Amino acid sequence: MNKTLSRRDFLKLGAASAGMVVIGQMLPPLVVRAARENGTLSASGDGIISTMCEMCVWRCGVLAKVKDGRVVKLEGNPEHPHSRGNLCPRGQSGLMNTYDPDRVLTPLIRVGNRGEGKFRKATWEEALDLTASKMLEIKNKYGAEAMVFSSTHNLSQVQFENLLYAFGSPNYGTQRSLCFNAMIVANLMTYGMEEPARIYDDKLAYILLTGRNLLEAISTSETSDLSHAIDRGAKVVYLDPRYTKTASKATEWLPVKPGNDLAFHLALLNIIIDEKLYNASFVEKNTLGFDEVRKEVSRYTPAWAAPLTGIPAETIVRVAREFAAAAPHALAHNGWRTSNFVNSFHTQRAITILNAIVGNWGVTMTEADGEESGTLGKPAQPAYPRVSALRLDGVPWKYPVVPFKLGVFQELRDNIVTGDPYQAHGWFISRQNPVMSLPDRGRTLEAFAKMDFIATVDIIMNDTAWFSDVVLPEASYLERYDPLLPVGDRVFIRQPVIEPQGEAKSALWIYKQLGERLGLGDFFQYADDEDYLRQQLVPLGISLEEVKSKGYAELKETPHAGETLEKSWSTPSGKIELYSETLAKVGFPGVPTWEEPPQPEPSEFYLLTGKVAQSTQFGTQNNQLLNKYSDEPRLWMNTKTAGELDLADGDWVEASSSVGKIHTRLLVTQAIRPDCVYMTPGYGHISKGLTTAYGVGASDSVVHVTFTDPISGGQALSQTFVTVKKA
Amino acid sequence: MIEIKHKAYLFDATRCIDCRACMVACSVENNIPTDKTRIWLAGIGIKGEYPELERATMVAHCMHCEHPDCMSACPVGAYTKRADGPVLYNPDVCIGCRYCMNACAFGVPHFDYDKGIIAGAFIDKCTMCPQRIDVGEEPACVATCPTDALEFGEREELIALAHTRIQAHPGRYIDHVYGEFEKGGTSYLILSHVPFKELGLPDLGSDPINKITEGLMEETIPFALGWAGVLSAITVGVRAFKKKETMQEEQPAAQETESEK
Repeated sequence: MNKTLSRRDFLKLGAASAGMVVIGQMLPPLVVRAARENGTLSASGDGIISTMCEMCVWRCGVLAKVKDGRVVKLEGNPEHPHSRGNLCPRGQSGLMNTYDPDRVLTPLIRVGNRGEGKFRKATWEEALDLTASKMLEIKNKYGAEAMVFSSTHNLSQVQFENLLYAFGSPNYGTQRSLCFNAMIVANLMTYGMEEPARIYDDKLAYILLTGRNLLEAISTSETSDLSHAIDRGAKVVYLDPRYTKTASKATEWLPVKPGNDLAFHLALLNIIIDEKLYNASFVEKNTLGFDEVRKEVSRYTPAWAAPLTGIPAETIVRVAREFAAAAPHALAHNGWRTSNFVNSFHTQRAITILNAIVGNWGVTMTEADGEESGTLGKPAQPAYPRVSALRLDGVPWKYPVVPFKLGVFQELRDNIVTGDPYQAHGWFISRQNPVMSLPDRGRTLEAFAKMDFIATVDIIMNDTAWFSDVVLPEASYLERYDPLLPVGDRVFIRQPVIEPQGEAKSALWIYKQLGERLGLGDFFQYADDEDYLRQQLVPLGISLEEVKSKGYAELKETPHAGETLEKSWSTPSGKIELYSETLAKVGFPGVPTWEEPPQPEPSEFYLLTGKVAQSTQFGTQNNQLLNKYSDEPRLWMNTKTAGELDLADGDWVEASSSVGKIHTRLLVTQAIRPDCVYMTPGYGHISKGLTTAYGVGASDSVVHVTFTDPISGGQALSQTFVTVKKA
Repeated sequence: MIEIKHKAYLFDATRCIDCRACMVACSVENNIPTDKTRIWLAGIGIKGEYPELERATMVAHCMHCEHPDCMSACPVGAYTKRADGPVLYNPDVCIGCRYCMNACAFGVPHFDYDKGIIAGAFIDKCTMCPQRIDVGEEPACVATCPTDALEFGEREELIALAHTRIQAHPGRYIDHVYGEFEKGGTSYLILSHVPFKELGLPDLGSDPINKITEGLMEETIPFALGWAGVLSAITVGVRAFKKKETMQEEQPAAQETESEK
């Protein structure tokens, strides 16, 4: 199916990088020298270096085995709370991202038409000068707001944001509205925090998962926690239209009708309140607006919810009673990618309220440790310029309760296309692939066509880089430093375990170089990457060498605000807001309420997407080790439905939505509701610079229709309906 | 009770989430080409009819048998069973006959058709990562498993653990530890919630399949060499005897001569 890397090619790669090492033979490479000095590498250059994974955003601790200047194996770091000695398949395959033969190893400047894939090699000097001059040209001609910046969750994002705020643009696109806006905004409105931490202790007895496919969408430690809870005998009730691997391990699988999980949760609240199964003293002491919720949910009886959800009323009643009886050793999981329908915000609010009224707080949930710890230092910098331009993504003028840092990326893209309220002209993208991630790829490429200039920072020629004017090659996560990351009571380091290949450079270096060329050098007051980390460590009084050698440092103080029940929440009222005045003030319902989700026509299917354990979003399909162990991405269809449509397993089919169509092979299976089809997201790459992934599968972004939840700004990723016919 | 004191794996099918971290880890650890694998997914997968479904999958690799059929089938002694568990394969001795593949009840040894006799190894299979277990580490597949579906340790302790788990959760498991007795015992022990044949495991008795042949085929060459040695020795011996006889034939004369003296 794909070009595979034979053992001989593997050896060739080895020889190629060995050749590079030879060039620097006079003096050992910096990484090796540093590692020898702190004792992590032997004199011969072999050893184990502690760093952090970047195959997803969970960031497990990694011990990298290095031999003759090459990474030969990655192990989970037992001392890191996210890995506990284990790595998932993506973590294990990480070195193949670094040794991908498709790596971009020099800066590239486009010479053909956009999307033609014709580039010439350039020096960093030339590529950075060109990027900075284009950005300044746009700023001078149209204002700083005409430059759009976008990047997806990563450790150097703090310096990316520094660059865009210093530049003075309000236009910042992240992946968040394509992922978890509904959950984050719901938690902010209820608890005044983005996402409470979940506690899987030995007493945890009841777990309600709403589409949280934790055994396939792996977060190593939490996946392990759930698996061990199941093993101990905790009851897991799992809602999903698909029989996933999580469904197969759950005590009970409820194949809920898509978009109607809201009705299920409203009915749970109805029973728990009606039968007085809630924790009255907790509710009285800690919450606000219980009566408003009681009044609203009184009409959402299990009998009402049953036909909507496809779940029998007696099952809903039983789950409600069981959940309340197990509380406070019960947990209703908010889920991860939660923006599935335009009503998902209400679903998320209902889940947060469910946890609150049975008194799970402090037992199965607590306040999460922030990623930005106040105990770490930071280079000095001047104040950012004032920005008066409107944000193109409609925050807050169209989406009043969406936090600035979340944004509404799909709206940003749409307003680039319409040029309303003003026209954007340039786009600087780092570690992100909006061509694949935004719904409606056709429209994303329209937005690209509006751009005078696009620059992309990445380690490979991803689909967005393919359509860019300048590609800046970043060092992979095994080749570079990123800012230090606090996790629990410790701060962990991501450090280079091998030299960057070719001309690849760290993001910290790239942003600084660009900043200096843009006249923003004062915002990047660090000599180099190590200096940045040293400045972070100043308040701890620990040397960088010590952190490099150990892989982490103890933090002086970590506030665990959630440990006490006598806490006040960061909401306007200081209580858990079951009823939210903030929402009511801007015209949204103050309590979760029923909003009927749209339904497909009889000839159409719900198009579902969802993670698999062998890939992360759109960035790992070119990894040859993951490709090796991935299932062929096919369109799942229920056996009975396929029979009715005269379709057979393995048939080539065409799936069409209102914005596009795809061709893919059919997987006929019992493991999905008859009214749904499912596809693995992230396939169907269009960059021919991805020789492993190109031509494999179809892209969900081609068929996904753009629908935005008016409250949280989340893209409703399961609200696309498709027809399917033989291709 | 079969008394075997050495290392073994315990695989618990109720814990395995089919994430394939073990497969990737093995590929990297042992530098397996991207079109080959030492670990694969076995079992019938999803069974039943929507919405009454069940999943039956297993991580499959070498069972590291106590009485390895691959070893007894090998005419050149390319296989050895190490005292602490691993069944190992020596590519330098292999002649590529593939008898081992036919002999293995679990379909483990894989033949590399891309390779000629000059290129070396023909057969590939799990080794129990001796490079790791010799320095006290777990095999790569076990070390990375995020759900502890794979565990590694002393065989006796794992068998005890497996039975404890069966007792502790009535109704969860089939009341049997696959590999405890199968064909004389294996070092890959399996716990399951579905009948073992649904995981792709053959129904085997507790007697070693190779009870008769074991030690016969693998001894062929040593046996042949031994015979050659014995025959050579006899030849040499006979010649020497004959020479001696000749000498003796001459000697008595001398003795006689002497005695005559």
